[in-house]
Amino acid sequence: MLIEIKDLRKKYIMGDIEVEALRGVNLNIQQNEFVSIMGPSGSGKSTLMNILGCLDNPSSGQYIFDSVDVSLLNDDELSEIRNQKIGFIFQTFNLLPKLSALQNVELPLIYAGYDKHERREIAREALDKMGLSSRADHKPNELSGGQRQRVAIARALATKPGIILADEPTGNLDSKTGNEIMALFRELNEEGNTIILITHEPEIAEYADRAIIIKDGLIISDKPTSGNTAEVLSENSLTS
Amino acid sequence: MQIEENIRVAFNGLVEHKVRSFLTMLGIIFGVASVIAMLSIGEGAKREAIKKYQQLGVNNIIVRDKDLSDQELENVRAKFSNGLSLKDVESIRNIVPQIDKISPQAEKASEVKYEDKSLKANLIGVTPEYDEILNYKMESGSFINNDQYQRQLKVCVIGSEVASKFFKLGDPIGQSIKIDDQWLEVIGVLQSKALFTETVGELASRDLNSDIYVPLSTFHGRFDKEKQLASELKQITIKVEDSKNISKAAKLIENIVSRHHFDNDDFSIIIPVELLKQEEKERRIYNILLGSIAAISLLVGGIGIMNIMLATVMERTREIGIRRAIGAKRDAILSQFITESLTLSITGGIIGVLLGLSLSISISFFTEITTSVTLYSVLIAFLFSVIVGVTFGYLPAKKAANLRPIESIRYE
Ligand SMILES: Nc1ncnc2c1ncn2[C@@H]1O[C@H](COP(=O)(O)OP(=O)(O)OP(=O)(O)O)[C@@H](O)[C@H]1O
Ligand SMILES: [Mg+2]
Repeated sequence: MLIEIKDLRKKYIMGDIEVEALRGVNLNIQQNEFVSIMGPSGSGKSTLMNILGCLDNPSSGQYIFDSVDVSLLNDDELSEIRNQKIGFIFQTFNLLPKLSALQNVELPLIYAGYDKHERREIAREALDKMGLSSRADHKPNELSGGQRQRVAIARALATKPGIILADEPTGNLDSKTGNEIMALFRELNEEGNTIILITHEPEIAEYADRAIIIKDGLIISDKPTSGNTAEVLSENSLTS
Repeated sequence: MQIEENIRVAFNGLVEHKVRSFLTMLGIIFGVASVIAMLSIGEGAKREAIKKYQQLGVNNIIVRDKDLSDQELENVRAKFSNGLSLKDVESIRNIVPQIDKISPQAEKASEVKYEDKSLKANLIGVTPEYDEILNYKMESGSFINNDQYQRQLKVCVIGSEVASKFFKLGDPIGQSIKIDDQWLEVIGVLQSKALFTETVGELASRDLNSDIYVPLSTFHGRFDKEKQLASELKQITIKVEDSKNISKAAKLIENIVSRHHFDNDDFSIIIPVELLKQEEKERRIYNILLGSIAAISLLVGGIGIMNIMLATVMERTREIGIRRAIGAKRDAILSQFITESLTLSITGGIIGVLLGLSLSISISFFTEITTSVTLYSVLIAFLFSVIVGVTFGYLPAKKAANLRPIESIRYE
């Protein structure tokens, strides 16, 4: 099992107000699965994803990643996991604006300790794979949204992490570009990568093999996709 | 390899915010420049002093007849002191074991003439040993030798100033000049010496280059005393064998002369080395004072760097979050931001060193002050800017490293 989550809870405390974003989530994900997570805004999807990506820690419950209890790891070890084993993709791309596409892709390799030549080579390969070899020296603001997200994917894949977590990767893209990105994810999944992605769009969720629906901090549905995702969503009147 | 990356990022940042970086560095620039300029002034003064005292001889003890008024002179004579005399010289020579050489000297302000030119000069009667004690360098000719001394010859050695005033073109050697009412033959010309512009202990400032040296025997035999009651000698210069024994010897000499003079306070003992040490001590205090002022400037510069680094960390919270999300450890962020503040302070330090160098060159060029930049002062100033960079960069960098990844990545 790649990911095992037991009774995961996350509370945000802001002054006097306490928000319980996750209220006891149980979830197992295996190597090479392609999972989509859906749910209304504020239901706790990003909160869950950040915990899965070792960017945040839960208030209680257990998270076992790759047979390691994440709560026992120190900051350096968590950094290493983020660097080596997880590729994180954001809705807003989160590229460094002053660096070129190539330099952005090199970034995780720097922290992984590769030397200049190695990382340049790996980064070029990753960009090639995304069809961006001709854009290597462009800054993010010289690229289209789809190209930026491809650079972000190349960066996430640079250290060959094996698992990709994407929080609404198509949220800022038009549907055509969104579909291209999803086709890419499909391909990556077929190459052996585990993919977990959050989306608001049922058509996007259709690309995955398994659809999870979260509401008010709890998983209310967890099924293989078979064209019924849209149905489930309307049943729960989640689409607005 | 990450260091290289850090330096690249830091320099890009510096170049990107040129004005801001420059303003931030100003404190360091002025701090470093003033440290270097001040130390160069201190060092220049030190070299001047050493030169001055080397002229007096670092192994020498000088016993000098005090300049007394006629009334005081009468008083000490009435109390049986004859002032400095050859007898003192003999006793010192016989009693003090540490002595290497000893040279008595008599002095007199004289009128000197050559053809239609005349000037005032110091006539100094010396023994041949005088030259050996003070290592005078000859421009031409030679110093008074033993034979000339024994035979009381009417010969003289003139200072460079006298030579240039009297003998603009011709060779002074072999020429005769008239001193008071005596004709003396010039046998040597001294090399020009640094001007003695300050009073050293009991030695009044004077221009050594207008001295005229004659054999002491000739001086005593041919020239009238300046005053009726004047002492036989004006000064005794003693060279000790080992500078370690200098204070012991000086003590002994003081006792001997004092006894001869029946405890009259009509002479003084000057030890150039001790005066040099004294002066160095005073200068050190002055240097510390100036150094502290410069250090305050560096401190202010450091605070400027800290301020800008804190702002930078704020501004770049999101960047820090992204770097952390893709695997940067805390130490990586820490070293990145310390590298940035170091880049600021070292760049400021280098500009400061250049400014300090040109400042001290300008000071010695446009003023009378002698300056001397030492490698040591440059290193000190540079080291200071590095320390400032690390010290004042640490807090902002620590703050950056401790940002929680998830919060900083969401930071707007
Ligand atoms: N840092 C935070 N501090 C306080 N409350 C937070 C914080 N992050 C999230 N929350 C709250 O936790 C709940 C879950 O938020 P989360 O971002 O996980 O929702 P989401 O499902 O990703 O929504 P969306 O689809 O809009 O992205 C929300 O009520 C939100 O207000
Ligand atoms: Mg979200």
